[in-house]
Amino acid sequence: MVCPLANFEEVFKTEHGAVYQCSRQNCYWLDFAGATTAFKVNDFFNFKKRIDAIDLSAMIIDPSRTADFTIVMPFRTPRCYVLDINGVLNLRELLDGAKFMIELNSVVSACLQVTSHGA
Amino acid sequence: MKDLLRLKTSLNEEIEAILNAQIKMEAHASSVYLAMSAWCDDQGYDASATFFSEQSEEERKHMMKLFNYVNDRGGKAISPEITNIPADFESFRSVFEEMLEQEMHVTQQFNIIADKCIKLKDFVTFQFIQWFLEEQIEEEYVARRILEMFDVIGEEGMGRWEIDKHIPKVKYEG
Ligand SMILES: [Fe+2]
Ligand SMILES: [Fe+2]
Repeated sequence: MVCPLANFEEVFKTEHGAVYQCSRQNCYWLDFAGATTAFKVNDFFNFKKRIDAIDLSAMIIDPSRTADFTIVMPFRTPRCYVLDINGVLNLRELLDGAKFMIELNSVVSACLQVTSHGA
Repeated sequence: MKDLLRLKTSLNEEIEAILNAQIKMEAHASSVYLAMSAWCDDQGYDASATFFSEQSEEERKHMMKLFNYVNDRGGKAISPEITNIPADFESFRSVFEEMLEQEMHVTQQFNIIADKCIKLKDFVTFQFIQWFLEEQIEEEYVARRILEMFDVIGEEGMGRWEIDKHIPKVKYEG
């Protein structure tokens, strides 16, 4: 559940999930695989790095049944993500898009600051 | 939308990554110098053993300077994993040749960092890097000077003993 007093905006959305920003608590909410989880800014980006680092080809090549899934338990969250290959790809797409939008927002605010100070 | 990213860090992701790579390189240099110190000690080059142990300390200080900078700017410094440290060296001279090669490599890395800072307009890090660029002048000078002693003094007879004795006297006056 997203925090009730949240002042949150959509960062990025795909058909598999969404990322929201809560500007009151300075955190991101990840809505994925049926649940919503809050991440602090640096935890969010570390989580993305971990998802990006999953070795998909090893998952595909390894014939054992346990290799069909990978388990990611991000620190400081109550969540445990059990992802198959599709899950990893869907989560990556969502996090990539969110990261792009977050960075774009940062660049835009920096530009606006420069212009407003220049005026 | 509120810019949460800049609240957390002033470091660009690429700059943070390249500085973390440099932290690792300084740690690696520190370990290599320690290995050289052990080798020199084992071979009876006492002054050189002390020289390399001091170099090792210096490299650790370089590492910590970068480490603290990354953290202070809101980035996350990574404690490096160091592998592939040699235990044996070909000869007394080759140890100093490797020292010069290592220092030249470090200089080159700082040039790449400086270039990246300019491209990304990170003039704060660019300014921070200046100290290291200047330090590299001294590091390369000392290594070259020592290598020249192998030619000037010569390695025959008492040569290597004489060279070892002169190592602590090699200083960069600037
Ligand atoms: Fe260094
Ligand atoms: Fe050095």
